[in-house]
Amino acid sequence: MLVIENLSVSYGAVQALKDVSLEVPHGHVTAVIGANGAGKSTLMRTLAGLEKPQSGQITFNGQVISGRKPEDIVRMGIALVPEGRSTIPELTVEDNLKLGGMWRSHAQRNASLSRAYSLFPVLGERKSMRADTLSGGERQQLAIGRALMTGPQVLLLDEPSLGLAPLIVTQILELVARMAWDSGLAVLLVEQNATVALRIARTGVVLNLGEVVKSGPAAEIASDEELRHAYLGY
Amino acid sequence: MTNFIDFLLGGFSSGAVIALMALALVMVWRSTRMVNFAQVGQAMFTTYIALTVQQSTGNWLLALAVAMVAGLILGIVVFFLVIRPVKNSDTTGAIIATFGVLIALQAGAGMIWGGDPEGFIPPVSNAGLEFAGRIWPVSLYDILVWVVTAALVIGLTLLFTKTSLGLSMRASAFNPEVARLSGVRVNRMLITGWAIAGATGAVGGVLIAPVSTISPNSFDILLVFAFTAAVIGGLDSLIGAVTFGIGTGLVISLVSGYTDASNAPVVALALLALNLLLKPDGVFSHHGSRSV
Repeated sequence: MLVIENLSVSYGAVQALKDVSLEVPHGHVTAVIGANGAGKSTLMRTLAGLEKPQSGQITFNGQVISGRKPEDIVRMGIALVPEGRSTIPELTVEDNLKLGGMWRSHAQRNASLSRAYSLFPVLGERKSMRADTLSGGERQQLAIGRALMTGPQVLLLDEPSLGLAPLIVTQILELVARMAWDSGLAVLLVEQNATVALRIARTGVVLNLGEVVKSGPAAEIASDEELRHAYLGY
Repeated sequence: MTNFIDFLLGGFSSGAVIALMALALVMVWRSTRMVNFAQVGQAMFTTYIALTVQQSTGNWLLALAVAMVAGLILGIVVFFLVIRPVKNSDTTGAIIATFGVLIALQAGAGMIWGGDPEGFIPPVSNAGLEFAGRIWPVSLYDILVWVVTAALVIGLTLLFTKTSLGLSMRASAFNPEVARLSGVRVNRMLITGWAIAGATGAVGGVLIAPVSTISPNSFDILLVFAFTAAVIGGLDSLIGAVTFGIGTGLVISLVSGYTDASNAPVVALALLALNLLLKPDGVFSHHGSRSV
């Protein structure tokens, strides 16, 4: 389990995260929702090691990971799919996938590769094409596939819905939820699109101006109109 | 017409060496987005080391191998000298620092080996081959240069396209953040890029030494030609570096043959200026703007 305790992060004088605590259990999706600028991406980048925490602690299965390098954190089993469908356009689809988890054994990587192709058949059809020939939805699948190639126990998904058609978003997120359920993956999903995120999540966390204002069962948060008006703006 | 063919044939060997130096520049550019002007200085230094090995053992292959290893090590040393101290400032500082390294290497070589030009004995004959009743401007040594260059280019291509190390290096060049998130130790990949560039340049130096002479400054002109080839090729493209490296060698050979050898650098600079005017991103590059 990924445990975040009293995490604070700042960019110079700007306090991006303030005293954030939350747990990400295996086998479920935990959704962090909030408006633009709530600190969602900062949270994800800090978990992946791209930003350094100011104070607080992040532990994974009892080991402290806060302050470690991104390449070490991913090797421990925590994979981030960053915002904006982060694939490498100049590389082929298959090379983008193979980039993930290069340190793992040949057998493990082959197993992950065939699993990625069975989860996302379109990637298998286009494996020798350059990533920049893919559609937005396909690139998001590729970005998730690359993260899965690292054999993660925790998957961090930053705004996967950004710029995608609602139907594709639903498909991708339902697949992620099923993966969590089937293989005990812990998923932390950050979304501006609260409706979809809360539908597939078990737990919801509302972030506002860097602070957790509410956390609880996703269904409860989804039906809390006051909360929705105040922090999610709909 | 016979002249034309002779000049062309004569240009392939120098073209091959220019291609290797251009490759070295491109590999450094791909890993750290800067031009390493010390590259020819490193090649000069490792060629002196090869010369010492050659003189004491008489074994050319051993000399080449020692130069390559020395090139790898020197590439890593220069990386730490140049990149580390100026890491947090802009790359302009690092580029200027490479000039400093170049001057230091030339001065160091002068102190160790002296400033007088020395000859490097070729492992096979450098005399033009006789075939079909005439002597051609191609020697056994030229053929050796082609073979070694081709082997190195093929080896590097396989390394970059077929191996995990090559994929990690390409990914680190294109998008360091995604590479790190995938578990690639990006900093090591950058150092590896500089090391391989150093070894490639070292091979170029050892290959050209027998047809010129070696002195602390004798490779300076090679920098002009290699830089021209690398920039016209797009700085990012290994194929571009090889193509335009050989192309530059042919052009120089034609210019030297029909007019005078001293015109060659001017023509190279004119080509560079023309390229920057007409196609500033380079012929083989698909990237946006760059600053040199």
